[in-house]
Amino acid sequence: MIAEIIVLGLLIAACLAVYFDEPVYAVASLAVFFFFTVLLYALNGAGFAAVFTLAMGAGTVSVLFLASEMLSEKSGDEKSLRGFLLAVSVACILVVPPALLSIGKISAGFSSALSFEQTFWNLRAMDIILQGLVILSVAIGVAIILYERE
Amino acid sequence: MDYVILSAILVGIGIYGLLSRRHLLKVLISIELIAVAASMNFVMLASQANKALGESFLIIAFSTDTCVTAIILAIMIHVFRKYGIRDLAKLAEIEEKDEAALESEG
Repeated sequence: MIAEIIVLGLLIAACLAVYFDEPVYAVASLAVFFFFTVLLYALNGAGFAAVFTLAMGAGTVSVLFLASEMLSEKSGDEKSLRGFLLAVSVACILVVPPALLSIGKISAGFSSALSFEQTFWNLRAMDIILQGLVILSVAIGVAIILYERE
Repeated sequence: MDYVILSAILVGIGIYGLLSRRHLLKVLISIELIAVAASMNFVMLASQANKALGESFLIIAFSTDTCVTAIILAIMIHVFRKYGIRDLAKLAEIEEKDEAALESEG
């Protein structure tokens, strides 16, 4: 039952993030979406994934809030309550297919076949080093894009 | 299988947002939704198989996702600074005007 409620909240937040025209509201909905994703991961025993999603979501939402403040248009037109309710009801309908299956069967406990540390450093060490290089290249790329010659 | 359906629904919502919204930030939010939906498969399938490998894949997926977000934000801010627009349709109009100006000069 808890998993179904979380999935419902997740889908409503996703629909509202797409529905709202005002970027600040959309980013707030995205924050709620990340929160429900973290809850879903934690309930399924993926503790590390939940923590990393929380950290990544917090960073993404804060950056998007700053960008939305900069890019938001202060227009007077407001969305109707009817459209808002329509978005919520569409999300409620969308939750039916996964909920009718076995989404409520939560796998208890943390993954134990191979520990996260072993997997992370022994099996995926090369990937992690390469990801560091990719992030460094991206940082240089972003700096080049934002550089403006006077 | 049910979580695969859930992530497919989330991808559908993200694609709808990509196609229907013209605000640059809304496009970025839709891309975020698609990325989270894709990485959800790693966690849920690995969690049900009781393996930690999916969680380590999630970290890799997150770093890629963060890179994509950073580049899109940088391009968005650059476009806003240069042209003062936040709408994809207006961006296309500016591009057409630039091409027309280049043709008239040539």
